Amino acid sequence: MNPIKLALTYLRIGVLNEMQYRINFFIQLLQSFISVATGLIGLSLVFGQVKKLAGWSRPELLAVMGVHLLMGGVIRSIIQPNMERLMDDVRNGTLDFVLTKPADAQILVSVHEFRFWQLVDVIVGIVVISIAFIQLNGTLGILQFFGFLSALIMGGIMLYSVWLMVTSISFWVIRVQEISNLFEGLYAAGRWPVGIYPSWLRTGLTFLVPVAFAVTIPAEALTNRLTGTSLLIALGMTLLFVVLSRGLWRLGLSNYSGASS
Amino acid sequence: MTPTISVSNLSKHYKVPERDGGMKAAVISLFNRKYRTVKAVDDVSFNIEAGEVVGFLGPNGAGKTTTLKVLSGLLHPTSGMVNVLGYEPTKRSHDYLRQVALVMGNRNQLSWDLPAIDSFELQRAIYSLPVSEFKKTRDDFIDLLELKDLVNKPIRNLSLGERMKMEIVGALLHRPKVLFLDEPTIGLDVTMQRRIRAFIKEYNQRWGATVLLTSHYMADVEALCKRVIVIHHGHTLFDGELNQLVTQFSSFKTLGITLPDPEVDLSQYGEVLTRDGARVTLRVPKAKTSQVTANLLSDLQVDDLTVEDTPIDDVIDSVFTSTKAAK
Repeated sequence: MNPIKLALTYLRIGVLNEMQYRINFFIQLLQSFISVATGLIGLSLVFGQVKKLAGWSRPELLAVMGVHLLMGGVIRSIIQPNMERLMDDVRNGTLDFVLTKPADAQILVSVHEFRFWQLVDVIVGIVVISIAFIQLNGTLGILQFFGFLSALIMGGIMLYSVWLMVTSISFWVIRVQEISNLFEGLYAAGRWPVGIYPSWLRTGLTFLVPVAFAVTIPAEALTNRLTGTSLLIALGMTLLFVVLSRGLWRLGLSNYSGASS
Repeated sequence: MTPTISVSNLSKHYKVPERDGGMKAAVISLFNRKYRTVKAVDDVSFNIEAGEVVGFLGPNGAGKTTTLKVLSGLLHPTSGMVNVLGYEPTKRSHDYLRQVALVMGNRNQLSWDLPAIDSFELQRAIYSLPVSEFKKTRDDFIDLLELKDLVNKPIRNLSLGERMKMEIVGALLHRPKVLFLDEPTIGLDVTMQRRIRAFIKEYNQRWGATVLLTSHYMADVEALCKRVIVIHHGHTLFDGELNQLVTQFSSFKTLGITLPDPEVDLSQYGEVLTRDGARVTLRVPKAKTSQVTANLLSDLQVDDLTVEDTPIDDVIDSVFTSTKAAK
């Protein structure tokens, strides 16, 4: 089995099906607008008082907001639905069906669900980032662009890995539904660059829930703050998270015995 | 020839936490947890040859599902050897999983919101089936189970029976050589049960597939399985032909008698099971059947008389109760 082909099949069928529910598109669009609007109000409140926030100017923070929106769309369209389904599968014993398939179980549980309309946030995020970029009068060099893109991808992979680790706990503790709410709350903190938070929270947002890597570092790439060192650290962290999450997932699987005997 | 499924001395024990009721016990168990070992399957052995359809019988909690789960690679045996098609199921090698299927009557694998036809497409991708072969199998199955008008509806809009038929199609699209069916007809009406039974039979005959089936409906077992394995409390009680089970465990026959005079007392001939107007059913020891029949016919005026084996459900029931008494 080719995992990419498999993921694309799931994607295609997910998209075709969600297309039927066009109302979801409008609901999602409305939600995106509300979050952009509240974000903008927040920004103007802050910049009514100060010229800079922890070294970030207004258009720079707009870029952070754009990345936060974009990544949030990725989480809600792919990561969260799959992980929530995994929790359900463990609780209901339907994970049996995944484990009796001739395919890597981790890949299967990670591509099952796809919420197409949530991608509206990704597009709105890109628009916000573009506007911020124009306001910054920035020029985007090739190197800078790839720095941004790779930081974004690594951030996404890290968020996925952390979520997988948390979900793997459901093999031992059957009820972990609340954890995804907690995760959402922590992710919301990523709307601001992690540098503005006190150090204990900053550490948590960097190493426990890697919001720093998922949002702040890509935004740094856009605003010319990114150093090769932090990109390398991001790469190391990504590898570490991937290995750890795979390990915990496998440990969890060996502990799984289905919902009934 | 090596058997398709070979199970020798299989045991599966679970360690389950145990505590008494009440708050105090709950708190104590947080710190000092006691475990109890449950022997779900205890020293079970059997071989199944290619193409056989075997009924796996036993009351709830007998260890049937546990055995099926071990065979499909979901559970590791505590001890014993299991081999299916030359593979060790626990290793869950993709080559092995490609050749088997597990169907559970009380659980769905098809996506609730997708029409079945899309879920089938996903199965095709998972098993990397060639398109033409996949389409042919799919359309054959859809015809056989008369599902043509339903495949484009989301699963959630289908009835329980229709959904089960879809589940079976989805599970067999890769044309597995070995089928593990756990209560495939549970909760379905008689017509639907019959349809699914016929399909399993057809599949078995057409592809020579080996089938291990559990069911609480004896009609399923009678229609499909020549051979049955009966397990209880994790032990094998019987392994052999279905009709042999009846001979071995049933020492009675049932006589149905219709008399013109409903008032006649028949208790001297045997144990009266039911009395419905002129129709009486009597239970008599098997060895005495011909004697009792002759006596009835000579002593009384009889309109109708039938001699039947004890219904298989009653036989199974007596198997389980007799072993309980023996313990």
